[in-house]
Amino acid sequence: MSVQSASASDRGARSGSRRRASAQAVTVAAVAVLSLLVIAAVAAPWIAPYDPLHQSLGAALQGPSTAHWLGTDDLGRDVLSRLVYGCRIAVIAAAEATSIAVVLGVPLGLFVGYRGGWWDWAVMRLVEAVVSIPGIMVAIVIIAILGTGLHRAMIALGILFSTSFLRLARGVVLTEREEVYVKLARVVGASDRRILLRHIFPNIAPPLIVQVTLTVGAVLLAEAGLSFIGLGVQPPDASWGTMLNTAASYMELNWFLAIPPGIAIVATVLSINLLGDVIRDSIGRGVAVGVKPTTPVARFEAAAPASPESAAPPPRRDDDVLRIEGLQVVVSAKEGGEVPVITDLSLAIARGETLGLVGESGSGKTLTGLSILGLIGAGGRSTHGTITLNGTELRALTERQREQVRGNAVAMVFQDPTTSLNPAFTVGNQIAEVLRAKKGLSRKAAWARTIELIDRVGIPRPAERARAYPHELSGGMAQRVAIARALSCNPALLIADEPTTALDVTVQQEILDLFRDLQDEFGMAILFVTHDLAVAADICDRIAVMYAGEIVEVAPVDTLFATPRHPYTRGLLSAMPHASDRDPPLPTIRGTVPRPGSWPRGCRFSDRCGFRTDACGQRVPLTGTGRLVRCLRAGDPELEAGR
Amino acid sequence: MLRLVVQRLLALVPLLFIVSVLTFSLTSLLPDDPADLIIGQWGTEQQFEMVRERLGLNEPLVPRYVHWLERALHGDLGTSFFNSVEVSDAVMQRLPVTLSLTAVSALIALLVGLAAGIAAALRPRSWTDRLATFGATIGQAIPNFWFGILLVAVFAVTLRWFPATGFTPLSSSPWEWLRSVTLPAIALGLASSAAIARQVRSAMVGVLQQDYIRAARAQGLSRRRVIFKHALTNALVPVVAVLSFQITVLLGGALIVEQVFAINGLGTLAITAVRRQDIPMIQGLVLVMVVLVVIVQLATDVVYGFLNPKARPS
Amino acid sequence: MSDSPLLEIRDLWVTYWQRSGLTLRRRPFHAVKGATLSIAPGETLGLVGESGSGKSSIANAVLGLVPAASGSIRFGDAELSAMKTRYPAAARRQIQAVFQDPFSSLNPSMTVGDIVAEPLRVHTGMSREERRARAAELLKLVSLSEEHLGRHPHQFSGGQRQRVAIAAALALQPRLIVLDEPASALDVSTQNQIINLLYERRDALGIAYLLIAHDLALVHHISDRIAVMYLGHIVEQGPAGRVYSAPAHPYTRALLEAVPLLDPARQRARRAARKAAPAVEAPRDAVSGCPYSNRCPSVMARCRSAMPAAFPVEGGGTASCFLAEDRGRARPAGEPASLAS
Repeated sequence: MSVQSASASDRGARSGSRRRASAQAVTVAAVAVLSLLVIAAVAAPWIAPYDPLHQSLGAALQGPSTAHWLGTDDLGRDVLSRLVYGCRIAVIAAAEATSIAVVLGVPLGLFVGYRGGWWDWAVMRLVEAVVSIPGIMVAIVIIAILGTGLHRAMIALGILFSTSFLRLARGVVLTEREEVYVKLARVVGASDRRILLRHIFPNIAPPLIVQVTLTVGAVLLAEAGLSFIGLGVQPPDASWGTMLNTAASYMELNWFLAIPPGIAIVATVLSINLLGDVIRDSIGRGVAVGVKPTTPVARFEAAAPASPESAAPPPRRDDDVLRIEGLQVVVSAKEGGEVPVITDLSLAIARGETLGLVGESGSGKTLTGLSILGLIGAGGRSTHGTITLNGTELRALTERQREQVRGNAVAMVFQDPTTSLNPAFTVGNQIAEVLRAKKGLSRKAAWARTIELIDRVGIPRPAERARAYPHELSGGMAQRVAIARALSCNPALLIADEPTTALDVTVQQEILDLFRDLQDEFGMAILFVTHDLAVAADICDRIAVMYAGEIVEVAPVDTLFATPRHPYTRGLLSAMPHASDRDPPLPTIRGTVPRPGSWPRGCRFSDRCGFRTDACGQRVPLTGTGRLVRCLRAGDPELEAGR
Repeated sequence: MLRLVVQRLLALVPLLFIVSVLTFSLTSLLPDDPADLIIGQWGTEQQFEMVRERLGLNEPLVPRYVHWLERALHGDLGTSFFNSVEVSDAVMQRLPVTLSLTAVSALIALLVGLAAGIAAALRPRSWTDRLATFGATIGQAIPNFWFGILLVAVFAVTLRWFPATGFTPLSSSPWEWLRSVTLPAIALGLASSAAIARQVRSAMVGVLQQDYIRAARAQGLSRRRVIFKHALTNALVPVVAVLSFQITVLLGGALIVEQVFAINGLGTLAITAVRRQDIPMIQGLVLVMVVLVVIVQLATDVVYGFLNPKARPS
Repeated sequence: MSDSPLLEIRDLWVTYWQRSGLTLRRRPFHAVKGATLSIAPGETLGLVGESGSGKSSIANAVLGLVPAASGSIRFGDAELSAMKTRYPAAARRQIQAVFQDPFSSLNPSMTVGDIVAEPLRVHTGMSREERRARAAELLKLVSLSEEHLGRHPHQFSGGQRQRVAIAAALALQPRLIVLDEPASALDVSTQNQIINLLYERRDALGIAYLLIAHDLALVHHISDRIAVMYLGHIVEQGPAGRVYSAPAHPYTRALLEAVPLLDPARQRARRAARKAAPAVEAPRDAVSGCPYSNRCPSVMARCRSAMPAAFPVEGGGTASCFLAEDRGRARPAGEPASLAS
């Protein structure tokens, strides 16, 4: 591993572990505060130095002293003792209101969510009505009916917060109900009760725990607020809210009175909220399910990138638009550190040529396209190699300069046209914006050109369609718009990333024809990324096959399909459904594509290859002239005969 | 846009109906007879009957509701049980106070929340992000009334920059109004700015990972344009919903914060009414608040439709 | 197909009611418009169509996940459509399903052992140990092993998850399995592994499949018969070989023509042919008459006014196209009456 990437991956690992360590520290602190609270609540009579109600008017409004660590209040009562007894109120309040909320809200939410129909409608309208009144006002109204006092106030808060549990439980049921596994449970014939309890309920537990922590925090704040305005705990009983009420009246005489109860509230609520955050984050990582995700064993050793045999650059041609030589891209791994996802990648595309980049998921084909644009995204970066577009080394450019290149010299069309257009703006607006920003056209000229472009990509009634929003167009139409936008500045290179995968076959055909037409007219080079060899056969002049982060074979399209030379290419070709008219068993490649980080040493296909020899444990270079193959046994009679 | 407003208005009809029924039924939910409350335990049977008659308590429930609703729709919310004050007069007199407090704090919450949220989202896991996230977590843990007490201690009692108590109407002196509303509005808005900042951050982070952001960048549009035009427009969609909810929260919070600053707004009215079980007054307060919330929701829906073309009726 | 069919669908309509705006009136959307199909015991029927053609709605109706608006679904002796979505246990046991997405079709909070044993638990009185033993057996049938029983779905690859889903579907030894795009979310190299597994299980256990897919090329390998859907209508059905090599309906032909081939030379020839006769651009909205009439290259006047019935096709099956009717009339030369009309 080169020095540069070693230090980078080290840094990644260190910052990852530092993050985990700080999260752990936060958790420990939060748990400590909450434990302290519970201990104080249970053991208040033994911990508190004085009777919290004992008045001593002679010693009123004193500051902290050795006798009274936190001073005394207006009636000379010991603040520390009152604070400790306040813990008791806080714990009772939180437990009481939260339990009422859960017990009321969850079953009702599960019921209406699963039952749906009239029940759901009626209950949800009721909940909406309650939620549309400010929470404190709801509590005040319920207290008006029940009367003041801690327990009554907590019943009020319990009813109030039950609405959030109801909505949570209902929401989970509604989303889970649409899950395929719940559909399957219905197909199997499981009863409603069983589906609800066995299949849906376990999935409610994680968000429920988070909601409980949030509610405890909210209850503590609300209880303090109600006691503060005199509707919760009634004097002379000590609660943090009533203590603050006293403090507010004696602000000018002894401001310190406000500090201890305030800090107690903030520390408690902060701890419970932080704990909730930690729980939520760990659910996101799947830890809460009680299963540790299996970490793949990293078996990869980065190739010495500058070794002469591997960096065989593609032959130079005069009309090359794009040349990539020896590109390596790494991404940061979840477990910390960085993992290579593309290694030793070299390719060239000439003007008017279409190069297909073909591979299965995880082969690195999409990232290759994004690396050219310098848009690998957070957590990824290119570490080695050169990317030359029209004679400019893109990796050496500043971000500003790259912005200039993007759109003008190179543009990209993405897989899903419905997500690659901004839902908030009309499609015409999105094309015109590019023309104005990149070409400096006036508003009027840009709009006129936009309509021309929309017309050019074969959309009927272009002036009208320009004012449509993306969701109002079919997938095929939206992809045509995306193509029009990409071509708006007449780029020398167009990167098309699976541009037809999300479309129906008949639409796919139309889009592929459009690409050909536009290339004849505009003469741009196309890098066509796809997993479908048949699509590549249709659109490409040359094809580069990728497997596990590297190119394993490059050949002109006719040659590749007539005489594939790499065992992987051959396996892929015979596995295509069109390849054979035979009955099953259909040809397969055994095993699965290895994930980045767990690539075999040496030839990365060797695990799945039927022609493996001992020599395949070594790194294999991409060799040949005209057509390139990364296989030690290419041309071997045994391998050729196996076709 | 008009269709959207009309649609949403119609959708609010069941809500208003349910709230009105709930509010009306307060009288029946009360454990004590309202007439008892008014007359006290030493009244005569005859007085008692007179009061019941006046309050319409002898009528059956449904006509009584219809009657009550009819009057409420005309702005007549009845008279307080304890003095002859018209409920609508009492509420309307204090409404501007609570409204200006809520409005100013909502503005503060929105501005602070947006700025902190965007700053955090642009550099996830940076120091800015951690600072903003930690600040938001603390902000949500601080009770507004305690924060108010601290603000008074520092800026009113010690530094004497702002008045410690009271409220000056905007109409009598804009400058004094601003001085009187600043501290309470900050105290009230703190938790909401934290909540909004969190929502802005997560929405922005989510939107920035979308395909259309990558596509806009691939098209060579500047980072600034992509963030503030393409990303923010979409990220604001969920933020608008949170803001609307936070305004409801602020309206409730105002009731408490008013007590810290001795501001004679709806809060004082509500607390007095609850202590005396002054039902007409509570009913009036609830109805006014719901109307306010409904107006906010309506505005939210319109803004929502403006930001999100999919939400517009076709 | 003289023996009585296992599944028989007659004139099935599936309708979803969409609320439009705020008005209480709801508009019907007909996903399936009068489909007629049958599957014999042990037979595989491939149901092919593009997105929105209604093929998954037929699957859902057969599985009792959505009610049939009208028409009949007979399974063996039971009339399922009359029971709406409340199927009797006997029918539930005999019809199972495997869905497309291997990442959402397994409950993340259950172990693989529990997932595979769930049908046994619902329908049989087996003890815990018996269920476990049977689940282990089932996992072996799909080339997984007993040690996988205690693992959670997220620990498996897409292909392995789909194997688990198949094992669960096999648990009750059903007579029919509905396969809704069972391999299309997988990589090419794993796709065929799943297809082979399904094929092998079918031959070993004599199960019938209703195989739903968008890829005609994939379907024809393992289907006995193929039905093609377009906008809620079944436009053609027949023996897999005949439909694939001699499609009778213009839409089936267009569908086949659009599937890219692995042969660059043939692709070029096709492209040249397309250029000579540009495709008919038209909205895919519902039209009166034949649903395909606004895109059909060989449309005739009557196609726009009348819906063609299912006419028999030489080589087996039917096509809902007037051209098939004309050809059918022209063929039997010994019948002058038909020529005269």
